[in-house]
Amino acid sequence: MGLKAYLNDIVEAVVTTAKGMRITARYGVDPKEEVTLQYPEERWEIPKGYRGFLHNDIKTCTACNMCVKVCPIDCISLESVRGADKKMVLCSYDINIGRCMYCGLCVEVCPVNSLLHTSGYEMASVALGELILHFIAAEDAPEIKARVARQVAEAAVKAAAQAAAKAAEVPSSGTAEAAKVAEAAKAEAAKAPVVEPKAAMEEAPQAPVSEPTVAKEGEKKE
Amino acid sequence: MEALAISLVNAVPLLAGVPLWTVTLLLMVAVAAVILVFALTFEGVGSLVLRKVAGDIQARIGPNRVGPNGMLQFLADGVKLVLKEDIIPANADRLLFKLAPYFVFVGSFAAFVVVPFGVGLIAADLNIGIYYVMAVTSLVVIGVLLAGWASNNKWALLGGMRAAAQIVSYEIPVGMALIPAVLIAGSLSLQDIVRSQGGLLGIFGWNLFHNPFTFFSFFLYFTAAQAETNQTPFDLPEAESELVSGYNVEYSGIRFGLFFLAEFGDMFIVAALATACFLGGWNVPFFHVGTLPWIWGNLLSLGVFLTKAFAMVLIMMWVRWTLPRLRVDQLMRMSWKYLVPLTFVNLLGVSLWLLVFRGKGIPGMIASLFG
Repeated sequence: MGLKAYLNDIVEAVVTTAKGMRITARYGVDPKEEVTLQYPEERWEIPKGYRGFLHNDIKTCTACNMCVKVCPIDCISLESVRGADKKMVLCSYDINIGRCMYCGLCVEVCPVNSLLHTSGYEMASVALGELILHFIAAEDAPEIKARVARQVAEAAVKAAAQAAAKAAEVPSSGTAEAAKVAEAAKAEAAKAPVVEPKAAMEEAPQAPVSEPTVAKEGEKKE
Repeated sequence: MEALAISLVNAVPLLAGVPLWTVTLLLMVAVAAVILVFALTFEGVGSLVLRKVAGDIQARIGPNRVGPNGMLQFLADGVKLVLKEDIIPANADRLLFKLAPYFVFVGSFAAFVVVPFGVGLIAADLNIGIYYVMAVTSLVVIGVLLAGWASNNKWALLGGMRAAAQIVSYEIPVGMALIPAVLIAGSLSLQDIVRSQGGLLGIFGWNLFHNPFTFFSFFLYFTAAQAETNQTPFDLPEAESELVSGYNVEYSGIRFGLFFLAEFGDMFIVAALATACFLGGWNVPFFHVGTLPWIWGNLLSLGVFLTKAFAMVLIMMWVRWTLPRLRVDQLMRMSWKYLVPLTFVNLLGVSLWLLVFRGKGIPGMIASLFG
């Protein structure tokens, strides 16, 4: 290293240091440069289309099961029973928000736009279970099921009565057959209360259908 | 100190029966306590200011939760440090581990003894003042090396080794850069050095403006001293990104607090030495402080000294948050290939200047031209 390069090094060190110090001094003196947002007191504006916590409007929800099927990490679970008018009735709708990755597929797929992202992003809990959002309270599920079953049974009885009346109106075709039809309707009505737990959720320990088994498992564990 | 004791005994008749050495000893303890309180306060407030300056420079806010505008943050930090559990690693060398923080703290705090705070405000005006500071701050090396060794941790050991290499290397340029001030004053005593910069020339009486060589000497000293006290562009011994926290990685609680305090103490010592040797110390420009009544003269000179020293500390913080950390080889190259030769050239220049111009500086010569 020659003398010229040596002196150049020194000059460069001094010049670059001065340059840097000028920049930091400008930031240090100018109070407008602060970028800190003091979070709990100040918040940033939530942008349009922000994917926050999910919310399901259970009044519009048709229990079509699309969101459950599309969810890549299976964090949505729902249970439904077929109502008297052949439509599905929700009896529980849970989202494990601790597991949700906010991909938004469920919202896109929802045919009635009942499932939507809110702007919420703050949630804290001391236990994992508390992160499951219940859109229908767990204790309401048996009640809903019982009500639906009653309605279905009533409808079946009505249908059977109507069929019986029809059969009675036509005497020439023989009463024995009509009686058979009526009996079958009655049997169907009797069967109806046993709900079809097809869309039963794997996660909901409160599922009343499997209550006895859950209790047994609990005993075993203890 | 003994002279002060004698005058105190003469002034207060109640003390006449007490042996002189008792009064002297009590005075010494009192002075030490005052300086310790000053040092601790400086270290506390200094840490807060450091963080605030860092916040400003990095476009952040800095601490603002404890007390009005975060003013009491340093108290919270201090309480936290004191209350934390004191952990000693199972495989550490317990004796050395416990000893190391004291070496570091004593090394940094003992230098406060010769800091000339004012006309008469100096704990001990040693006639070897600068030499004493250089010697006693070397104790820090031993402490840091001990801490690194006794922790039985690879990061700590690496940090301690780096610290030893760094402090030993940079002691030479620091000493060489301070000698011009000694040459001009003709004394190693810091009070004499400060007095030699007084007079009617005002700020042009400072050693900084004495001649071109002393001007460069100041910057060389400032750079080398920052490196010697492990300030940020040269804080390799505790480089967070490589060594986690360096030599103090295994320390917690009050033992870590001592390292922390020593670091800030060193910062003040560097600023105080720069002020005393190059920036006129406690001299009030165009004014002779010695002619004032004792108390006012001391208060005024203390204010002037602290203003200058704190300004230097602020500049150190500014540098600290500006420059990125050097590499080990760059650090060594900077010391041995740049700072050491430059300080030698400077020393030679100052010596020749003093020989040729019979000890007069440029401002002095200009002043004598006009009578």
